[in-house]
Amino acid sequence: MVMGNEKDLKKTALYEEHKKIGAKMVPFAGWEMPVQYANIIEEHLTVRNKAGLFDVSHMGQVFISGKDALNFLQKLVPQDISKLIRGKAVYTQLTNVEGGIIDDLIIYKLDEDKFLLIINASRIYEDVKWLLSNRKDFDVSIDNQSDNLSMIALQGPLASDILENIGLTKENQPKRFFIKKAKLLNIDVLLAATGYTGEDGFEIIVKNEEVCKLWVELLSKGEKFGLKPIGLAARDTLRLEAGLFLYGQDMTENTTPVEASLVWTISKDKKEDYLGKDKILSQINQKDESKRLVGFKMLDKSIPRHDYRIYINNEDSGVVTSGGVAPFIGENIGLGYINTNKPTTIGTKIDIMIREKLHPAEIVKRPFYVKK
Amino acid sequence: MTTDMTKVLCAKSHEYFIKEGKSLKMGVTDFAVEQLGDVVFIELPEIDSSFKKGDIFGTIESVKAASELYIPVGGTVIEINEKVIEKPELINTDCFGEGWLIKVKDFNEAEVEEAMTYDEYKEFIEEEAH
Repeated sequence: MVMGNEKDLKKTALYEEHKKIGAKMVPFAGWEMPVQYANIIEEHLTVRNKAGLFDVSHMGQVFISGKDALNFLQKLVPQDISKLIRGKAVYTQLTNVEGGIIDDLIIYKLDEDKFLLIINASRIYEDVKWLLSNRKDFDVSIDNQSDNLSMIALQGPLASDILENIGLTKENQPKRFFIKKAKLLNIDVLLAATGYTGEDGFEIIVKNEEVCKLWVELLSKGEKFGLKPIGLAARDTLRLEAGLFLYGQDMTENTTPVEASLVWTISKDKKEDYLGKDKILSQINQKDESKRLVGFKMLDKSIPRHDYRIYINNEDSGVVTSGGVAPFIGENIGLGYINTNKPTTIGTKIDIMIREKLHPAEIVKRPFYVKK
Repeated sequence: MTTDMTKVLCAKSHEYFIKEGKSLKMGVTDFAVEQLGDVVFIELPEIDSSFKKGDIFGTIESVKAASELYIPVGGTVIEINEKVIEKPELINTDCFGEGWLIKVKDFNEAEVEEAMTYDEYKEFIEEEAH
């Protein structure tokens, strides 16, 4: 087996806490992150059955404010941001003029002229560059607070009970896909009811200086609920099982939201122009995209992985972009792109080329897992 | 089952073997298992297939990734552990015992001599880590 090491990585404010509780650290998107604290499958099931706490401080936070904040964002994403009410969040993508996805993100409307963008760690530099290069003609301020803010995610069916237990009543918790200012253990936070696991839960944005106290207290107070710290490995199996995409794998600048089967996130009646609109609408209306993302499950015990080829009727027809085990549903699953000259409908039998052998799989409905 | 660790010989690629009369029992080391985490899939060669030292003889997959297995001593496969294919977690619980992978015959004694003892292997891992 071959194992590697990397140096010069950024550390989150929780780095020492992770080491203290025995996390295994790995490089991810330029950061040294906890990949697991104990056993990945157990961590996965803990989030599905109880609750888990994740350090996601590597992710980026950019605040957009000013009188043109709304119009500025309207130019950059296929979602109609004008429909967002105050305190509400929406999942969308930054698209380029060809409709390619620069990043996927959640936009939170904090106030009439103030928005928060939560972006992928690996894309902070590119995204901010993109925002700056498009700000001409807009009266906006672009405030990248990624280095000053930490973020922890509390996810799972007991997440809300845990917040209640530390003093935030359920009435005062944000509803799903909302964000609000809150005090947790006397610490000022931005509390968003969003996540990347397929479970209900929260993402908590807090100053770097205060995140350790919050992390330690949450873990200690959450213990009786079964709360455990969860590493990036389980975060990946959780998001895949929930059919959520990973930027850089399941979408890149060379895929449009239509190709990525994200048509449901596009406001088809949005009046304003946005970058890539012509291409995106043409693909929706003409159905002329050349590839399409599908979800599939293996029909034998083999495990699909990123970059394996997809075959249909013995012809190379696409590529796996994410794959692995889905511990809760007990299947081996994947996401991948199939050329649209081949069938992509649910139930289509496909094969995955694994170590020079074809292994049977079937296109299935996404998400693979839906919470009860 | 406890393994006599003085009989365990290791390769830098984290596979081990134990001499059992005229055959070698092979598997992956406890260090490798710890690095891998939960083993969820194992692919082993067919009986009678022959390998030269360092050839890929199979694949081990954890939740995180698939890793290739390199044969620590060349030879011909006479037995594979069917139990471990059904229950890959045996590798996590007992990699030197129930979690063995293959047995090999017709090996070259000189290659056996070249391998590290388990103690030397542990030192090698320490050095790698620094």
